[in-house]
Amino acid sequence: MDSVVVENKTEFSEKRQTLVSYRNYRNKRTERKVVGERIDEVFDKGSFEEIEPLMETKNPLAFDGYEEKVRENQNVTGAKDSVKCGVGTIDGIEAVGAELSKNFLMGSMGSVEGEKLTLAFEEGDKRKCPVIIFSASGGARMQEGMFSLMQMAKTSAACKRFKDNGGLYISVLTHPTTGGVSASYANLGDIILAEPKALIGFAGPRVIEQTIGEKLPEGFQRAEFQLEHGFVDRIVKRENLKSEISNLLRLNGFGTKLSAEENTENSADHLAETEFKKAKSIGAVAESETEKTSAGTISEVKIEDSESSDKPLEPYDRLMIARDKDRPKIKDFVDALFSDFTELHGDRLGKDDQAILGGLAYFHDIPVTVIGHRKGRNIKENMAVNFGMPEPEGYRKALRLMKEAEKFHRPVITFIDTPGAYPGKDAEENGQSTAIAENLAEMSTLKTPVLVIVTGEGNSGGALALSVGDQIWMLENSVYSVLSPEGFASILWKDAKKNKEACKVMKMTAKDLLDGGMIDRVIPEPEGGIQKNFDGFIKMLDGQMIEEIQELIKIPTDELIAKRYEKYRNI
Amino acid sequence: MFKRILIANRGEIAMRILRCCREMGIETVLIYSSEDKDSLPVQFSTYSVCIGPAPAQQSYLNEDAILTAAKEYNCDAIHPGYGFLSENAYFARKCEKEGIEFIGPSAKMIHFMGNKDAARTLMKKHGVPVVPGSDGILNNLDEAKKVAAEVGYPVLIKASAGGGGRGMRVAHDESEIEDAYESAGAEALSAFGDGSLYLEKLILNPHHIEVQILGDKKGNIIHLLERDCSMQRRHQKILEECPASILTDRQREALYRAALKAAKAVHYYSAGTLEFVLDKTGKFYFIEMNTRIQVEHPVTEMVTGVDLIREQIRVAAGMPLSIKQSDIKINGHAIECRINAEDPERGFAPCPGDVTFLHFPNGNGVRIESALYPNSRISPYYDSMVAKVIVYARGRLEAIRKMRVALEEFTIKGIKTNLNFQYLIMYNEDFVMGNYDTGFLEKNTEAILRWNRESEKY
Repeated sequence: MDSVVVENKTEFSEKRQTLVSYRNYRNKRTERKVVGERIDEVFDKGSFEEIEPLMETKNPLAFDGYEEKVRENQNVTGAKDSVKCGVGTIDGIEAVGAELSKNFLMGSMGSVEGEKLTLAFEEGDKRKCPVIIFSASGGARMQEGMFSLMQMAKTSAACKRFKDNGGLYISVLTHPTTGGVSASYANLGDIILAEPKALIGFAGPRVIEQTIGEKLPEGFQRAEFQLEHGFVDRIVKRENLKSEISNLLRLNGFGTKLSAEENTENSADHLAETEFKKAKSIGAVAESETEKTSAGTISEVKIEDSESSDKPLEPYDRLMIARDKDRPKIKDFVDALFSDFTELHGDRLGKDDQAILGGLAYFHDIPVTVIGHRKGRNIKENMAVNFGMPEPEGYRKALRLMKEAEKFHRPVITFIDTPGAYPGKDAEENGQSTAIAENLAEMSTLKTPVLVIVTGEGNSGGALALSVGDQIWMLENSVYSVLSPEGFASILWKDAKKNKEACKVMKMTAKDLLDGGMIDRVIPEPEGGIQKNFDGFIKMLDGQMIEEIQELIKIPTDELIAKRYEKYRNI
Repeated sequence: MFKRILIANRGEIAMRILRCCREMGIETVLIYSSEDKDSLPVQFSTYSVCIGPAPAQQSYLNEDAILTAAKEYNCDAIHPGYGFLSENAYFARKCEKEGIEFIGPSAKMIHFMGNKDAARTLMKKHGVPVVPGSDGILNNLDEAKKVAAEVGYPVLIKASAGGGGRGMRVAHDESEIEDAYESAGAEALSAFGDGSLYLEKLILNPHHIEVQILGDKKGNIIHLLERDCSMQRRHQKILEECPASILTDRQREALYRAALKAAKAVHYYSAGTLEFVLDKTGKFYFIEMNTRIQVEHPVTEMVTGVDLIREQIRVAAGMPLSIKQSDIKINGHAIECRINAEDPERGFAPCPGDVTFLHFPNGNGVRIESALYPNSRISPYYDSMVAKVIVYARGRLEAIRKMRVALEEFTIKGIKTNLNFQYLIMYNEDFVMGNYDTGFLEKNTEAILRWNRESEKY
């Protein structure tokens, strides 16, 4: 009946419309809704055991009509309140899960909801397993007044305790997550995921519009907006949640790395894609192997070539190789060296700086945190990443990721390739110096191995802010200096064009720095730079890296930090 | 048997009586007010006589004019329907004096049962439970206080001559009793000319159950099951069912026994109804007796198969009942919805006007009692009830479904009605479960109206 349209208007049309309306509304009202849909989708079938499913609100304020409202929602959902919480497995990895569902009283958080979420954190702590919470909520439950507001404090406290005890908390923000929920436990995740287009914010758009008397722009407070402003790590489509979360759990040291077949079977497209690329690069290596003798010796041969060549490269030549637009960028290194790279965004303070790329990945079977400067190959790409010049927000993002790495005992590998920190107005206003200084200090005591690889040019504090570590390596043709040669020339000689001369005196090549004891290793490059034979080169780098990382992770943390201190103390 | 009956009523009940008389081969004389000159019964009655202007006082309540018309037209009997003169003992006595049969119980009986206090006393005497309260009329406030303390608060103070919720006050505790006593007395005096009051315990949100009885002048008396009339808005019934699904067989039997015992004791004849309240614990108390045919009589007719108007006329003519007690069995379920010309969105204010378009539902098990026709006019002078939709099916849920379909089909334009309101009740979970009492509408009206408003967006 709903779909039939009566075209000719009769005396009955109006009546008919009323009946259709009733029916549509009834259908909508009696539509069976589920609390915990995402839990059902993400957790392995049959694995989920609920905690306290029968807990019910006691109407603490004796609020008129509240009990009826709750009962109505209970009838429609079959749940007792808006939270489903319990323990289950995700691709076999044990985890505590909870979902605050908008299908029950708009997911508002009352005392029962707060209690269950708190229990979820406590259970996670007890079992030493990760906690995953999906949220959709209008905020605090008005009918429970202050009892409801206090749940914000309670859940946040439980969350903090869980995290301080080393727990991994993944928060998934779904449409909409607002008010007291977004301003408490939901935004405290170690990793915060959001579904596309989800409304996320404290005050609802209507309230803001009425208060400031302005129309808000399209997309305001949506997940994409929050990503851009650094509050969300990743935007994940609902259908990819399971593979994404499963992957993140593994990268955080829960469960083990999936084998290649499992991976393609279970994971989202991007994972498969990475595998594909990897396969391709291996194929390329194999090809080059047939041409030459063996991959391991190619570079050595080349080095001899370069060293024995008549004209040794001038520092300026190396600078040019380092700045070459074809020189592999961080993404090339990441794709070639790591698998399952999962980028994480944002500093959680106000921005996601595109000049810094950071994320989690497997280095062989070891989960690591990868951070580095991002440069583009052309003007357009470079505009998007600010020519690899980070702003304070970029350094803060890097620091946030390193702190996470420290918490979950992941080695940190950084890739340095930047003209320097961004010399801009905003950057100064937002505390560029402080951000860099913080990084230098924090990295010196980071309780996890840090391997730094200078791949291109590394200039000034902008580079140093990512390169305080246990091992500092430079590719043969990369440069690392106190300032760009142009800047150097203009400061000392008031002429930026004298950059070539500057290069000579600055002692900025890998060899110079190794001789000066500033770095630990030079990675030889083929003639003309790694851009000429990346695939062959990367295999060698990979070999050296895995050897080093395996050594570093064996060193007890205290000793590691003490050695790191000595290293810088002696310069 | 009567040859000619005067119908002293209007609207749907006039049509109901008129149809019955026609079936029985009896001529009808319909009295009407000038306001009703175009009404449906006027068109179909053998004779129609305008006896006065619109106000009921000068037409439908104008006893002398009605009697004059009855004599003029040589009527053997007068059927008063419900409301108007139906429970007026004086009018019944006048009829008796004029040698015109009043179709209903004797004037004495009307008078006796019309006095609630006397009725209570009688019931008590015959062992029928009554709501605990004062023994007869309260003499003063102190007595009211004393009785109230005995039966326990909250209490209800009611006008002895009252009805329809007027002259009735609730006192929740001792501090309220003085106010209640005085205002009920004042209202009773102005409304009924009789300020005498009695007091009873207030039973909060009971079920309203009534037993239909029928007796002849030969001393036969039977019951015709009960009706559940708990769906009330401010003491006005809007929906009735037969039988009452809330009752157990044991309660039902006890109720019938009590009703028959009382009716037999007073040698009641014609149709009558004993009203009871059923409290939360399942105890029932007699509250009053109606000595007329009732609005909701069709639900009983549907389930028992007995034509109550026909029996009334037969009894009045001195004939015995055409059925025996053993013929009366619960056979199926009937529901009646009263369709009123009123606007639910504006506090159910009456909405008289012209009906511009009309379509009644039809079909198996659907019965409509109404005097509406397309282009008919609904007068502001009289009751706003314009139609009754009665459905009959084998079971209650089936009846509810039938009622939904009937109300879906019922189309009326030009006036606002409670049709949609009734329709939404048919979908109320508690109603569907049979889980409702007289407090139902007080609690759910807002939600039902909200449902109606919300639906408009879809």
